[in-house]
Amino acid sequence: MTMGDLMNKLSLNSRLAATAFVLGLVALFAGSPYHGADATVNTKELALVMATDADQVTATTLADWLVQGRADFRIVDVRTAPAFAEYHLPSAENIPVTGLNRTSLQHNEKIVVYADDGARAAQAWLLLRAKGYQGAVLLRGGLEAWKDSVLFPRIPENPTPAQSEAFAKAREVSTFFGGAPQSGAGDAGAVRQVAMPTLTMPSANVAGAPKKKKKEGC
Amino acid sequence: MTTKPAQPYWNPYLAGVGLGLVLLTSFVVMGRGLGASGAFASVLTTGLHAVVPGHVANTAPFAEYLGNGTTSPLKDWLVFEILGVIVGGFIFGSLAHRISKTVEKGPNITTARRFGFAFLGGALMGVGAKFARGCTSGQALTGGALLNAGSWAFMIMVFVGAYAFAYLMRRQWQ
Amino acid sequence: MTAPFFKFGMFGDNIGLVIAFAIGIGFGFFLERAGFGSARKLAAQFYFKDLAVFKVMFTAIVTAMLGVYYLSVLGFMDLSLIYLTPTFLAPQLVGGLIFGVGFVVGGYCPGTACVAAATGRLDALVFALGVFAGIFAFGEIYPIVSTFNDSTSLGQLTIPTAAHLPYGLIVFAVVLMALGGFYGAEWMEKHMAARKAGA
Repeated sequence: MTMGDLMNKLSLNSRLAATAFVLGLVALFAGSPYHGADATVNTKELALVMATDADQVTATTLADWLVQGRADFRIVDVRTAPAFAEYHLPSAENIPVTGLNRTSLQHNEKIVVYADDGARAAQAWLLLRAKGYQGAVLLRGGLEAWKDSVLFPRIPENPTPAQSEAFAKAREVSTFFGGAPQSGAGDAGAVRQVAMPTLTMPSANVAGAPKKKKKEGC
Repeated sequence: MTTKPAQPYWNPYLAGVGLGLVLLTSFVVMGRGLGASGAFASVLTTGLHAVVPGHVANTAPFAEYLGNGTTSPLKDWLVFEILGVIVGGFIFGSLAHRISKTVEKGPNITTARRFGFAFLGGALMGVGAKFARGCTSGQALTGGALLNAGSWAFMIMVFVGAYAFAYLMRRQWQ
Repeated sequence: MTAPFFKFGMFGDNIGLVIAFAIGIGFGFFLERAGFGSARKLAAQFYFKDLAVFKVMFTAIVTAMLGVYYLSVLGFMDLSLIYLTPTFLAPQLVGGLIFGVGFVVGGYCPGTACVAAATGRLDALVFALGVFAGIFAFGEIYPIVSTFNDSTSLGQLTIPTAAHLPYGLIVFAVVLMALGGFYGAEWMEKHMAARKAGA
């Protein structure tokens, strides 16, 4: 008697039960359903993204988004937890590089990654892209650039009117994030003396910065 | 309302396979399972927000359903899903000649008492679902299929609670 | 790997809502055909007379579980992207107990009450009002219960992870448990029917 004959003789319920049993039995040997570590990248696509600078966002642009209170992106800090505790961008989440494999990040959202400098963030960005996070971009120049152009902006020597105007705006933005605009030119050493802003001030969701996302469950 | 006799219910195993495939479709298409109590919470939040907005914003269990405040809490996945359940229930209930304005109860209990128990049971479930982060759909079915540890703990306790009180409630149903 | 489609950005939130409605119709269809629009049929579960609740629920769980497992093993779906409700063990145990009592008192659960109300069951409408009242009450007592509500937080936790056992083994164990349960349920229904006929 073939397998088909046997199945035909059974009632519907028994057939369903037999199917479930066989599938369950095979599951014993079929391995893990998680594909944690392996990923593939489309090198051409990545090269194109890099060539057009679509993989980056500048510190000033990011600052503008935060000031506007835009909620359509997430900021991910890939540095270590102590460094994160010391200072991080407003509304940033701390996901160290090793944690990027299993995160609550969604594949369809815009993710801004940053680290101390551009290189570490770029590595994290590549990991995210390889894992299929199409919306990942990196903060150009990392936290260094954030300090230089947002927290502690500086007016060039003998500014043109356009530069003065830009600095006036940068000054406002800097104050918004609790920074300290550097008006005196040329005192490069003095800049680093300025204290980093305290965390409580900028991260207190000023001007309706991204609120908690609605939960997904029941 | 209908004169034709109601069609018999399906073989439960076949209905179960169908329900499982709907759930699987939700996983594959949306990356999330089914739910019901969340939709109730969204509707309640919307109602409360219209009456006492300040209170809603200050009460964490309601505030979380307000989202970022830019869209209505009703523009929510679970709310639309439950609308579908109601519409689907009505359409296919009609096709099976099962629409009738009745009260589900045993012969030994008055309608008023049945309503009282229905309200009390609903209230208990509302509280229970909040503690459990979900209901039969969101926890038992969805979490059960994903082998979620908390969902299985929840599911076992649902049966424990129901069987423990079944004897007390027997007059309502028998 | 292409699924879950939404998480890979194949469509946006608004299309997602349309899909929610369609999935809801399918959900409502099978709940209705299973007989879950009737509180008497649902409650009969707890008197061992009609174990449809158990049969339908566990068949659905086994079906979806096997589907999720095989689609993921075959590389079609990324299981880690499917939303998993975090585990808060103590409140979920207590919540389950309260929910279970509510089940036998009220006769519905939130989803089935929607089908029952749509097919004219007035008690289901009253039940739904009760659910609103319960969720409201929870919000009002939240300051008192919030500590307990957030206790024993174990994060997103699956049974295979918690038990340090292979996923496939748990899948097989659940299938065996369900099949054993179905066999017991059939026996129990026959037994109760025979007892009723004899009495």
